Amino acid sequence: MQPMAAQGRTMGVLDRLLRSGPDGSTIFAGGLLIFLAVIVGAPAAMVALMSLRTGFPGEGGALTLVNFIRVYTDLSTYNVLLNTLLFATGTVVVALIFTVPLVWLLMRTDLPFKRTIYVLLTLGILIPVFLRTIAWILLLSPRIGLVNQWASQIFGLDHPLVSLYNLPGMAFIQGVSFVPGAFFMLAAAYRTMDPALEEAAYTAGVSKLRTFFWINIPITLPAIAAVMVYLFMTAIAVFEVPAIIGLPARILVLSSLIYTSTNPPTGLPEYGVAGAYGGVMLLAGLVLAYFYVHLVRQGKKYTVITGRGYRPREIALGRWKWPAMAFVMLYLSMEVFIPFLVLLWTSLLPYLQLPSAAALSSISLKNYRTIPDYTGALPFINTAILMVAVPFCAMLLSVLVSWVVIRSQVSFRGILDTVAFLPHAMPSILLAVGLGYLGLAYRNIFPFYGTIIIIIIAHTINWIAYGTRTTNSVMIQVHRELEEAGKVAGVSTPRVFLRIVLPLVAAGVFNSGIWISMLSYREVTMALTLYSRKNTVISTVVWQFWGSGWVPEVSALGVILVIFAVIVVGALRIGFSRVGEVGSSV
Amino acid sequence: MKRIRLRFLVAGLVGLAAVAGSAQRAPAAPIDELVAAAKKEGTIDFYAPSTLTPEGAQKLNEALNKKYSLNIKLNYNPSGAMTRDVAKVVSFAATGTPPDWDIMVVHDAAHATLWLRKQHKPFDYAKVGVDPQVIGYDRGTVILANQFVLPAYNKTILPSKDVPRSWEDLTDPKWKGGKLGMGTATHHLARLATAWGEKKATEYVKALARQEPYLGELGTLYSRLQLGEIFIAITMTDSFVHRAKLKGAPVVHAEGIEPVISPAYNAGVLKGARHPNVGHLFAVFLTTPEAQEIWEKYGGQTSAFVPGTTAYKYAQGKKVLYMTQEEAEMVDRLTRVYGKMLGFK
Repeated sequence: MQPMAAQGRTMGVLDRLLRSGPDGSTIFAGGLLIFLAVIVGAPAAMVALMSLRTGFPGEGGALTLVNFIRVYTDLSTYNVLLNTLLFATGTVVVALIFTVPLVWLLMRTDLPFKRTIYVLLTLGILIPVFLRTIAWILLLSPRIGLVNQWASQIFGLDHPLVSLYNLPGMAFIQGVSFVPGAFFMLAAAYRTMDPALEEAAYTAGVSKLRTFFWINIPITLPAIAAVMVYLFMTAIAVFEVPAIIGLPARILVLSSLIYTSTNPPTGLPEYGVAGAYGGVMLLAGLVLAYFYVHLVRQGKKYTVITGRGYRPREIALGRWKWPAMAFVMLYLSMEVFIPFLVLLWTSLLPYLQLPSAAALSSISLKNYRTIPDYTGALPFINTAILMVAVPFCAMLLSVLVSWVVIRSQVSFRGILDTVAFLPHAMPSILLAVGLGYLGLAYRNIFPFYGTIIIIIIAHTINWIAYGTRTTNSVMIQVHRELEEAGKVAGVSTPRVFLRIVLPLVAAGVFNSGIWISMLSYREVTMALTLYSRKNTVISTVVWQFWGSGWVPEVSALGVILVIFAVIVVGALRIGFSRVGEVGSSV
Repeated sequence: MKRIRLRFLVAGLVGLAAVAGSAQRAPAAPIDELVAAAKKEGTIDFYAPSTLTPEGAQKLNEALNKKYSLNIKLNYNPSGAMTRDVAKVVSFAATGTPPDWDIMVVHDAAHATLWLRKQHKPFDYAKVGVDPQVIGYDRGTVILANQFVLPAYNKTILPSKDVPRSWEDLTDPKWKGGKLGMGTATHHLARLATAWGEKKATEYVKALARQEPYLGELGTLYSRLQLGEIFIAITMTDSFVHRAKLKGAPVVHAEGIEPVISPAYNAGVLKGARHPNVGHLFAVFLTTPEAQEIWEKYGGQTSAFVPGTTAYKYAQGKKVLYMTQEEAEMVDRLTRVYGKMLGFK
């Protein structure tokens, strides 16, 4: 009875707050706005503060521009900025080359095995990027890469055909890894695209390929542009590929500089320098966020509001079915099959070896048996906590924000929506560095450094923007009549929210929560930046093992995680297929 | 040059060690007080090289408990990158945050960083029977093992005629363009300055930088060596070579090159440690024959200062480069300078 009584009291308070008319809603929305502004603004403020200080967090000292002078009078900084620009652009191009045709094939055509492809796309996200990178090293390394060895044998080349230790190589690997995320973002646009022009083209006898290039792509261009901006913003912040491929070859980008400034390979951390580098990244993020919002608004003009029973006709691929399948298989091979085979192969070996008869004779399951010895239980427990806590916090905040933004008449609801979107403008590595600095310098008021809570906070902030975009779009579909009917029947506003609105949006919210849970599970940049003994998670263990040369051991861990993910994602896919694919609304 | 007292001087050190007979003298009474204090704390957070392995750490834990009739719980934290983790300790200390670990077993150059910033919790190790010769950094640490560092290569890929015979061989133009690998442990090269002098060592590092070696942590270079992505790792600790031997991997040292660089693994309790008494007791324990045996089995090293150990035997007749406390500041400085020269931003 106690929980019910507590719930009653809480609802009573909420009810009084909201029943008091516009003022109650305003107070509630105002509190929410202040809370969001603090959690979003604090890391950004820390980055600004650290850029104006020298020394370690907590040491205080006078504010100075010395970090900016040092960073921006160094010509190599501009080389790094150029590298970042080229890497991010290349990544976006590669991602779109695969994503746009994939989306069209899966959303608009009668391609077979769609459900399996969806599962495999989701699965691709869960294979750690660095493990995929090992597969690419085995394929494309200038010295040992199988592709180069074959090219040498077939064409008699005396130099490598391709190499991944350059900006195009980095962009290729990163771009391929972005495809699933970009797919789910674009899928929503293609699903709601007006098919009238497309069908008219087919009726007029225009080929499928021409229709794709001259109708489908132009009509979804704003959505594609929005995805491009989103991917670009993500690409300037990612860290794994620049670290594994870029650093060994001295190709530096902004994210690697920010990471190495706070986690230096030699010497001591230079937080001020990291802050100075972060300044330009933050500025770029804000500009890109502006364009993103603008493009998303443009994109909505081109969509149809789908009515009940609306379903565009699937295009019959006919003789193009199998070439289309070949394209999908090419991508899945790069993203899932080859990395998984490499992972499996490596996990069975005592040490890293290329395939050979001798290597085959040495395979065993020993690495699987020793996993618990190497990891302990803590990373699994912490990861499980993350996977539950992060989606819960992010979606709770998102639902509350969307309710105010979509349902209330509060005058500053637009500002609330903008603040909720701002984390999207803040690169994740910068967010983590800012939170880390906050935890170190002001541990009395923010005593979370070194705990799993700081990673939960970082992840939650990072995905609030995504969460609110989802809940906005879900909530806007629930007609006001239902709420109004409830109110006419004398039901209080909180009860209307809990009993009517929430059940109606629950499926969409849950769906997005699952997606955030998976993103949190695989996220490494923030977890590594905030890494400590007590908050180690699976992704940081994987990274640590790579750095220690325990690749076969971590490959065994990777195989188990992938199998686990197949089961979970497959089950969720089947269970929730009626509410659209996971991560569909951005 | 007053600094040129060759550290190729195994003989002198060994002589002292021989007098001592062992790094562990007969236990003195104060050890009982330390044991009693440790018993109250009950736990130790132990940072050590990843090459020790969790199993090795567990064996050390069992042996510690057996020797002193304790029931201490040891939490092993394998190192990912020692320099980075030492930096983290210094960062924490600046803000008054307690360190994550009670005791760190890291090489002497990393301990130099801690020592220069007064991050050790000193203890009178001699009073509890530890050989004064292995006590360093103003009673902040004890030496428990010596690493040996040389260039390493993949013996199935590199023809024997190409195996380097000297450090200078690595500057041969034939190794230019990603055929070499250099780890983040640039202190290895900084130590050469203690024998060669700063000028020669710096010129040497510049020449290495011109070879454009692949950069990375030692663990990643070890993986790239196995695959044959790089032919030679400019420096590689014997712990990886030991691991390769256990696993059958074809990674070996280029034996015969001198001087052999020998970073010493020191165990030091950190200032602000939550369990300082267990930390000090464990540091003492690590110098005992029981611990040495386990460390050798799992970590692959022993102390070069204890006659009869593998490290002691290995060092005989070789020019081995040890680092003294007086050289720590220079090595610390050159480590950063050389890191930047090689491309570690």
